Amino acid sequence: MAGLDEGVEGLVDYSEEGVDLTLIRFALSMTPEERLLDMQDCVNSIDAILEQNARS
Amino acid sequence: MPGLDFLALLQVLARNEVEFIVVGGMSAVLQGVPTVTRDLDVVYRRDAANIQRTLAALQSLDARFRIRPDLSPNASHLESTGHKLLNTKLGRLDMLGSIGQQLTYEDLIEHTDETQVGEFRVRVLQLETLISMKEELGREKDLAMLPTLRATLAEKRRLTK
Repeated sequence: MAGLDEGVEGLVDYSEEGVDLTLIRFALSMTPEERLLDMQDCVNSIDAILEQNARS
Repeated sequence: MPGLDFLALLQVLARNEVEFIVVGGMSAVLQGVPTVTRDLDVVYRRDAANIQRTLAALQSLDARFRIRPDLSPNASHLESTGHKLLNTKLGRLDMLGSIGQQLTYEDLIEHTDETQVGEFRVRVLQLETLISMKEELGREKDLAMLPTLRATLAEKRRLTK
């Protein structure tokens, strides 16, 4: 039986401590203002989901 | 609590000419660390003139202590080195008189960079210093962030080589 990871070796990039370097490169590709707005959108989205879950 | 608007929050501080340094999670975010934070932590200069400018900014933000919503910060609160954990109409704002081993604005200023954020420039605690402080503090919540902070610093250095 083929391993679950077969075919995706080399398609990930982690630091030695297991940090996803693709996320870091994406964040570094943005300006500081874009980073702030991206993070803020993320938090607001999480809050919206939590609020919706609390109502249902 | 209304939706966060950290950009507008920073803008209010900047327009009121408050002297401050962005520290904590937001300093990490501005420098490219892929993390999230729910508050803006700043260390501010505690001289009389800056306290007056800070008070004006906080009043326009309708700032209140998070555990005492009936109480607004005053000059006496801002003169202290302690942490003032506030709610404002634009999001949570922590006004810190000092951080770590009682490090003040004056102690930290040489470990900051000026960063353009939208239309204005803000002073941000350097990633190297943020990492050192978290290593010194050694609390679990600080240690948990270290791999991501270190990996971001290494990637930044690699990109600027």
